[in-house]
Amino acid sequence: MYEETGCFDPNSMVEGPDGLSQVLKPPPPPVPLMAGSTTNSHNSFEDNIKLSAEELSYHHCNPHQEVDASAAMDIQLQNQQMAFNTHLMQDSSNQVLAFASSSLADASYTPTADLLNLFHLPRCSASSLLPNSSISFTNPTHTTPLGLVGDLPMTDTASASSILYDPLFHLNLPPQPPLFRELFQSLPSHGYSLSGSRDSSLFGGGGDDHVEGSGGGGLYQDGDGEQQFDNGVLEFTWDMACMGKGRKSGKITKHFATERQRRQHLTDKYQALRDLVPNPTKNDRASVVGDAINYIKELLRNVNELKILVERKRCARERRKRLKTEEDSIGNNVHESSSIMKPLGDPDQSFNNGSLRSSWLQRKSKDTEVDVRIVDDEVTIKLVQRKKINCLLIVSKVLDELQLDLHHVAGGHIGDYYSFLFNTKIYEGSSVYASAIANKLIEVVDRHYASTPSSGCY
Amino acid sequence: MEFLGSAMNELCFTQESNRRGRLGRRKVEYDDTREYKSKNLHAERRRRQKLSDRLLALRSMVPIITNMNKATIIEDAITYIQELQQNVKLLSDQLLEMEGSSEEAVQKRSDEINAAEEMKQCGIMEDVQVTNIDRNKLWIKIILEKKRGRFTRLIEAMTYLGLELTDTNVATSKGAMLVSSCVEGSYGDTLTVEQTKDLLLEIIKSI
Repeated sequence: MYEETGCFDPNSMVEGPDGLSQVLKPPPPPVPLMAGSTTNSHNSFEDNIKLSAEELSYHHCNPHQEVDASAAMDIQLQNQQMAFNTHLMQDSSNQVLAFASSSLADASYTPTADLLNLFHLPRCSASSLLPNSSISFTNPTHTTPLGLVGDLPMTDTASASSILYDPLFHLNLPPQPPLFRELFQSLPSHGYSLSGSRDSSLFGGGGDDHVEGSGGGGLYQDGDGEQQFDNGVLEFTWDMACMGKGRKSGKITKHFATERQRRQHLTDKYQALRDLVPNPTKNDRASVVGDAINYIKELLRNVNELKILVERKRCARERRKRLKTEEDSIGNNVHESSSIMKPLGDPDQSFNNGSLRSSWLQRKSKDTEVDVRIVDDEVTIKLVQRKKINCLLIVSKVLDELQLDLHHVAGGHIGDYYSFLFNTKIYEGSSVYASAIANKLIEVVDRHYASTPSSGCY
Repeated sequence: MEFLGSAMNELCFTQESNRRGRLGRRKVEYDDTREYKSKNLHAERRRRQKLSDRLLALRSMVPIITNMNKATIIEDAITYIQELQQNVKLLSDQLLEMEGSSEEAVQKRSDEINAAEEMKQCGIMEDVQVTNIDRNKLWIKIILEKKRGRFTRLIEAMTYLGLELTDTNVATSKGAMLVSSCVEGSYGDTLTVEQTKDLLLEIIKSI
């Protein structure tokens, strides 16, 4: 079967991807139930790989198909598989190259050395730790390795497809390939993005180079030799072969060469989580997770609060517009429209009043602790400072700036601390939110401490 | 990961039993270490339990989860937190854009007018009272009409003139503000009741 490699005619293909295209070929034996799970990812590649899909169907293991499919359906599914293959290619590029270099020891595959240069082996950073960086590959504007791969026009590939397909058959394939599972895992992350950020990867669009960090890196560590390649090869073939099973799993497998790497990877993740949380205390794992839980709750509160505020602003704006048009229309002697519009304004207001805005958060800095609770339009601020500087003046200035009406203040000097409790009301029309208040307060108070010389008096 | 933990437990147990078996005669000497080990075991088990409970709680909060192993829980949490942070940023930017309306100014003035009227209705007069409680500590009580920013100006004036508020209490009712505070001289000088009262009256008139 390997002889046919030579027959493969890479017509308009670049020399480099020669090996890649053939590596691309391995079709998963069973037809996946993936039809529903593919997103817009495959569309960009359909044209490029339609022909290859047709060829694949010749060699495709029909009995394994779990889905009754017409020929067209077959091809479409093949396309999707190919799409995933290509995606897989990009993310597991290292494994691919390993596979290529190890299994196809042909002279024609020297170009893989060039490809190696193309695939940037990344440092293990927080985001590269996350296999979700594989989301980036779905961006059709990618030009790096994926573009290379995607450009391959699949011509007659009857010969090529058989190459890698046969070996797969002989392997006893385990049902749950981690590689493919992780690939699918990346898909649901699409649901995360807001309306405005659909096209950008979750990590700032820098996902191009983020091949799965430690797994690929592990594979390519110099001096590790053939053994790792073999591991990668085996896992890769398992993964490719079992892709068709359509498991909704899906991060890219992390192939750790050693247990130590796995532990290190886990520690790095904990560190990344710690770095995200605003006030980390106690650098042990349980408290990191505890802080993360509290922070998530706080973020959810903030999001809800902001949503309510935005909604209110929008309704107010619309009401103003309506009032304005009313005035205009009155000016034009169209009284009917004004009478119609007024009842329309009420449902908006009632919606606003129905949703009670509430939020709570705490912020700590080196010497200051701020606790802000908001219920509807009443804000309760608790402030504790560890320096013997009276900040009542500073804080009341800040509260004026933030358009908060002081209703009640209680506090003073307690031992080494100054502690205050402010009950305030938000002036109508102001849309200040909890985190803004807290951040501003801490910033101003700390700045005040920094600027004044330390002394007993204010 | 619980398997790993329990495996480790078993390992410890087997080690212990081995030791006991081999050096059964020296049971007495090893009692202490065994007890320490068992305490350690319990502590370690509790620690692991605590961690796994928290991880479970974390997983329950993140809506989109993939695998159920420790590593992916953390990863999913990181992703989710970043997504939430992005949301917050987006929403707050949106809010900032929509800022700036002309309605507020109207509202403010109407509030202040109401406050003054209320005060007059209830017969509350602006007032200052000062009492000496210690050599250089005074209790002061100020009633003033509540106006936007007036309290700030009051505090500012007081600190500028050397009156340091040690403990403060402010209450608002019916458009009037009551400030009661313990006051000390900022510069260590003793304050007399009369002086302070006059000073405060001056301040109130000026703000």
